[in-house]
Parts: sequence; structure tokens; C-alpha cells
Amino acid sequence: MSTTALTLYVLVWPVVVGVVLLVLSRAFVAEWLEARREGRDLI
Amino acid sequence: MNQIETVTFGAGTVLLLLLVFYGGTFWLSARIGKKQESADGYMTAGHDIGFGISAASMTATWIWASSMYASATSGYTYGISGPIHYGLWGALMILFIYPFGKRIRAVAPRAHTLAEVLHVRHGRSSQLLLAGSNIVGSLISLMSNFIAGGVLISLLSPFTFVQGVFMVAGGVLLYTLWSGFRASVLTDFVQVVAMLGAVAVIVPVIFFAAGFPAAFETGAGNLTSQQGSFFSSTAFLEQGAPYIAAVLAYAIGNQTIAQRLFAVREDLIKPTFVTATVGYGAMVIGVGMLGVLALYLGIEPADGDVNNIVPQMATSYLPGLLVALFFVMIIGALSSTADSDLSALSSIVMADVYGQNVAGRDGADPRTMLLIGRATMVVATAVAIAFASLRLDILDLLVFVGALWGALVFPVIASFYWEKVTNRAFTVSVLAALAVFLPVRFSLVPLNGVTGLVVDVLAIVGVGVVLGLMAFGFFGLRVAQVVAVLAAVVAAPFALGAVHEYATLSGSLVAYAVSTLVCWVMSTTSGATFDFDSVKKRVGDYDTGEIPVTSAAPADRDDDDLDPVR
Repeated sequence: MSTTALTLYVLVWPVVVGVVLLVLSRAFVAEWLEARREGRDLI
Repeated sequence: MNQIETVTFGAGTVLLLLLVFYGGTFWLSARIGKKQESADGYMTAGHDIGFGISAASMTATWIWASSMYASATSGYTYGISGPIHYGLWGALMILFIYPFGKRIRAVAPRAHTLAEVLHVRHGRSSQLLLAGSNIVGSLISLMSNFIAGGVLISLLSPFTFVQGVFMVAGGVLLYTLWSGFRASVLTDFVQVVAMLGAVAVIVPVIFFAAGFPAAFETGAGNLTSQQGSFFSSTAFLEQGAPYIAAVLAYAIGNQTIAQRLFAVREDLIKPTFVTATVGYGAMVIGVGMLGVLALYLGIEPADGDVNNIVPQMATSYLPGLLVALFFVMIIGALSSTADSDLSALSSIVMADVYGQNVAGRDGADPRTMLLIGRATMVVATAVAIAFASLRLDILDLLVFVGALWGALVFPVIASFYWEKVTNRAFTVSVLAALAVFLPVRFSLVPLNGVTGLVVDVLAIVGVGVVLGLMAFGFFGLRVAQVVAVLAAVVAAPFALGAVHEYATLSGSLVAYAVSTLVCWVMSTTSGATFDFDSVKKRVGDYDTGEIPVTSAAPADRDDDDLDPVR
């Protein structure tokens, strides 16, 4: 593998982790707001 | 490398970090705590959790300290494909269980444990076989996480290993004890944010601080041709293949997964488990890359222990502030799994031991149940602390238990789809598989000549069973049968005469094969029938008294000798 390919191979995982973090955070905030609006417990 | 100074903390700094972490999680769990918790909430949080919390919880639960260390070890040992052969198959454990999870949830929408459903489906012996294996697995996992905490704290501070174990165990018990699974799931979200955020920052910082990408060229000589190959056969045979065999076994044998299957809103099972698959895979493979970087740099692990690679890389190349973030990441990983293990253990004792076998469903008192759940957490923590001080080789134990779980996979899955599977078929097939597994795994009999050939043939059948079951979840019976036959045919030339030399792999595959063959033969000839619609009427919430129960076992079951209930 070339140096560029190896660099991408190592650094792509933190990027994917960041995307998952964003997805989970957005979903959590939406659920929290919905629970608050409906006056019920989040969990 | 030896000239690089490593970061360590004073006692005050570590205490402050632990106080912030465990104080924060305790505060969070106190926010949702109720003066009178419900038994069902304590076990499954009302079966109605949303996508964000459940996906975060599944991700956090499956990521534990050992998975990060082991992924980096795989990268350091097998080279650039090493982290893939650890993290990818570990992630697929989450993915491949969700089709079965949807079926299990459809059969028993308001169950708390998988074993609880087996009690209604079959009877006590099947239930206790699964519940027993769940308990052993969760206790080992709990012990492992306490050990990881003790090691990390003793590595980075003046505190001793035992002091570190007590700090972690006390912190986890503190925030989990009152609200159980509800506290575990909510705090998982905060812990996963800390973990994922830390990895997104720490891996790139170490990458550049250690002199990459230039070090890929200067350090290429440190890799063998196998380590430098993305398609390394050594990595596949020694790390990947045994792990593929364990994909379904870990998922079926682990109550922490089943608990989340029963807790998430039923229509959100697929997105929850797919997201957790990606989150777990990216995080664990990402941390595993630190092992690959260490290999390129020619780093020797401290004390010759490859488990030290990750902390070594962190303390060598990160500034103090990011080492603190790394510390929180590892503490978050082990705490999120430990609190899930405590919740899993308490739900098994509450539902399977007390709810089904001591008081009986109609006699179970939710308040007593809650007390038993909390007592279980305290006892489990004490047991795990006691065993943690022995410093057993956890990964060896887990590989062993994972192979044992292989004996349960086909009987458990078949029980949810096939009405002919009986309690006798389930129990006998699992025990027969264990009887064959143990001598193969520990080479108690010489595996040469005919014996070796028999093991090879059974292992080939095991390959077909593993891949067939994986296909069955997604594509149904016909495709699964084709995949199983093709897999066995393709594996045969490579496995015949060879696979019995790999004790761990062949033991695991033989367990799959024997339990499948025995269960299939006994079920085919049983003539039994079962109404799956009856399960949801017999397994449900304890707090509402909504379940009409007339007896503890199905009326059409034909093998009462294995069930002392009747």
C-alpha cells in the first residue's frame, strides 16, 4: 500500500467515529425534546 | 523510542478525574431515579427506548477496555489487516443478531431475558442452560473490566492495582444500583459521547505526533511481508477465522444484547443495531490502528506485554490534557460494559431465578424482585472484585466461554422458528456438544488418525452451520441451506487433515456441528408442535399483572422428565 493509501486507511476510522457521534447526538436531542414536549420521562 | 518521556498523573489528578466521571454519571442517574422504581423498568426500561439512546447504549456496551487493547494487539501482531480481523468480526456480532432479534421480539414482545422465553418455549433445563452461560459470561466480563480499570489506574498514578479495582467497582455500582438498566442505558449515552469524541481526536493527534505519514516509509522494514499485506492469510487464520466462528455465539450468549433487543422500541431494532455495528467497528478498528503505528515505529511493548501498547502510545505522544481524555475514554469503555453486565446479571436473577423458578410468574412480587435485583448487583460486584485480584487471563477465559456458547447457537435460534424443537432435543444437543467440545479444545484425546479425521469432518459441518445460520437471519431457509452446503464444500479441501491442529477453532466448530446435528435429528423425529403465539401471553411485565398464567409450562410439551416444574 502507498503512503497515501495507508494514511487514509488509518485516518478514515476517526472520521467515521465522528459521523456516528453526530448521528447519535442528533437523535438523542430529538428524543429528549420530544419527551419534554409530551411531558413524559426520557427513559 | 526509549527517550520519549511518558505522562503520568498524581494521586490528586486521578481522584479528580474519577470524581468528575463517576460523580457526573451518578448525578445523571439520580436525575432519572424514582423513589419507587418498577421491576420491569429495572430490567428493560419499559420496552420503549428510542433510537438515539438504544444505539448509543448498544455501542457503549459492546466497546470495552479489552476490545481496544486486543484490537491494538492484533494490529501490532498481524500488521495492517490485524485491527480489521478484530474489529470487523466483533462489529458483525451486533449486525448478525438483529434479524434474529426481530423474530425473538415478535414472539415475546415484553420479555426481559432470552432464557425467560426459553422457559415458556421448552422448560426449566433449557432455560437454566442459557441463563447459566449468560451469568458466567457476564461475570467474566465484569471481572475483566475491573481488572482493566485497576491496571490503568496503577499505570498512570501512584495508586495500586487493588485500589484501582475498588475505585472502578465502587463507581459503577454507585450509579447503577438504584435504577438498574434505566441508569445503565442513559449513562451509556454520555459515556459513548466521551469515548467516540476521544477517539476522533486522539488517533489523528498520535498519528501526526509520532511522525506519520513519513514513518510509513522509514518504518516499513519493521514489518514482515504478511504484516504488510492487507490480505494476510496469517491474520485471517489466527485472528479472523476463530472470531468469525464466534460471531453468533457471543451475540446469543450475551444477555446484554438480549436486554437491549427487548428494551428498544420494536420498530427501531434494525437502525439501532446497524448504527451500533458501524460505531463499534470504527471505534475499535480506529484504536487498533495505534498497534499498527507502534509496529511501524518499532516500539517494544513495556514489560513485554502487548496489552501495554495502547497506554504506551497515548502516554508517549499525547499532551497531558489529551492523556486525561484517554483516561476518561478507557474508564468510560469499561464502566459502560460493567454497568451493562450488572444489569444483565440482575435481570437474569430477577426474571429467570426468582420470577420463573422460585416464586413462579403468578406469585412473583415486583418489590421483592427489585430487592433481589439490587442484592444481585452488590454480590456480583463483590465476586468480580475477588476474582479480579487473581489477575486471571481474561481473553483466554472469554475465548473458552465463546466457544462454549457455540453449543447453544443452533438450539436457541431453531427454538424461535421451528415448532418441532423440544426441551429434550435442546438440552441433549447442548450437553452432547459440550461433551465433544471439551476433549477437542483441551486435547484430552490424541487427535490423530481416525479421531483427527472425525474432528475435521465435524469442523467442516460446523463451518456450514455458522455461515448457514448467518445467511438464514437475512435471507431465509433456502438461501441458508445453499450457503451452508457451499461453505462446507469450499472449506473441505483446506480443513480435511488440518483443522484439528487448531484446538480453539476446531473445538468451537465441533460444538456448533454436534449441537446442530443432534438437535436436528431429535427434533425431526419428535413429532412435537408448538404455538408461538402462546409465548406473548405467558411472558410479560411483572408490575402490571397483565399476564394470564395458568401453569408454568406449555400444555403440549412432551418431555416433562426434563422439567421438574411439573
